[in-house]
Amino acid sequence: MVHAILQQSVAGFYADLVTRPTGRAVRENIERDLPAGSIAVMDFTGVGCLDYSCADEIVAKLVRDKVKVLLLRGLTDAHREAIEPVLAGAGLAVLCERADGALEGLGASEPAPALLDELVERRLAARNPGGSFRLTAA
Amino acid sequence: MTRLVEVPTQFDDRSFDQFAAAYAQAIDGERLLFDAHAADWASPYGLVGLLAAGEAAARKGERPLLTAPANPDVVSYWARAGFFREAADLFEVHGKVPKVKVAVESEVLLPVTPVRAAEDVHVVVSTIQQRASAILSSELGLDPKATMGFAMALSESCQNIVEHAGTGGWVAVQAYNWRRKLARRVVVIAVADAGVGFRHSLEATQAKRFGERWGDAAALEAALIQGVSRFRDPGRGQGLAGIRRYLARWEGKVAIRSGTARIAIVPRWDDDVPLKDGLPAFPGSQVLLIIPEQETEKGSGGPSKQ
Repeated sequence: MVHAILQQSVAGFYADLVTRPTGRAVRENIERDLPAGSIAVMDFTGVGCLDYSCADEIVAKLVRDKVKVLLLRGLTDAHREAIEPVLAGAGLAVLCERADGALEGLGASEPAPALLDELVERRLAARNPGGSFRLTAA
Repeated sequence: MTRLVEVPTQFDDRSFDQFAAAYAQAIDGERLLFDAHAADWASPYGLVGLLAAGEAAARKGERPLLTAPANPDVVSYWARAGFFREAADLFEVHGKVPKVKVAVESEVLLPVTPVRAAEDVHVVVSTIQQRASAILSSELGLDPKATMGFAMALSESCQNIVEHAGTGGWVAVQAYNWRRKLARRVVVIAVADAGVGFRHSLEATQAKRFGERWGDAAALEAALIQGVSRFRDPGRGQGLAGIRRYLARWEGKVAIRSGTARIAIVPRWDDDVPLKDGLPAFPGSQVLLIIPEQETEKGSGGPSKQ
């Protein structure tokens, strides 16, 4: 999804989410169809390099100004390394869906449990027998 | 009148201040002759720094002159590293410059490349990912995952030009054996511009806070150590902090020169000074990142002969 929006938002064919102007263009494209306070899912599959500036422009600003819960999927370790400090530094968090389907917080540790609670409350997530959380079919 | 600015025979970050001192003596309106005829080695830092000097000189007066290295191996290497492709627009070049293809060898991971806009950063990041991953993982012994971090560090370094310099700049990335310091291979990223520099960029938001201490050194300290930015946006200042984290993990070094000061995060293997002030004034900012090979028992040689 993010990769597709990157292709729509930026002149030329790029696989990398780098630079603030790129991040801004991608975020504005996402925001157009996103009501404030929504629960949003962003899929990073196909995205190559994500730098700190772009992580801040897209992920941190969406969490801070637009969405209630942001769930990221398709993240590589390198994507996480860019997103985690940007969110933690701003006291923000998102949820990530791991390859095994389990949900976990990324960013500041304090806000993450409330994000999981929000999904559970809306029946969008449920607890696994082992104690971790996963998305429901809803 | 034409003023001679000698290019050091071994032109890198260590000899850059000698070059800057000669450059700083120029008076507005004087035509400068950058004399590199005796050069027998230049690091990426030297090459992009020379281009920044050329741009600044052209802004102040007549188009500067450049005498190319006399040594055919050296001039050929500079050509293959992409230096003369950029220099042709800035200098009146004298000497025999061979027409060679740029960056056809493994040492030049990224030839001297102009950075003027965000699109240029995309090109740089895309190029480096194609060329650098094998070098970083197989030759430097970095975890393959470090390749992406390397691209991130490179991207953020280049963005400093786009976001803050107020003009264009250049980036170059090379890998070579580094006998002098390490007896290991290193990858070096060098980024230079002749723009406004850190002090000017941060003055409006930071000068008051520092009071009488305000200057080039304080501005570099604010940017690299404290992570401040000229933008009030709370998410700003992430780039240099991210570069520091990446280099700390791989025992790398970052040094930034701007105006009359130079700041460095110095790893165990280096004996550089963390902060120098009162250096010869030089326009813009010059950034150096060094990532060393991770295995100490491997590697040998010295700066490759050019």
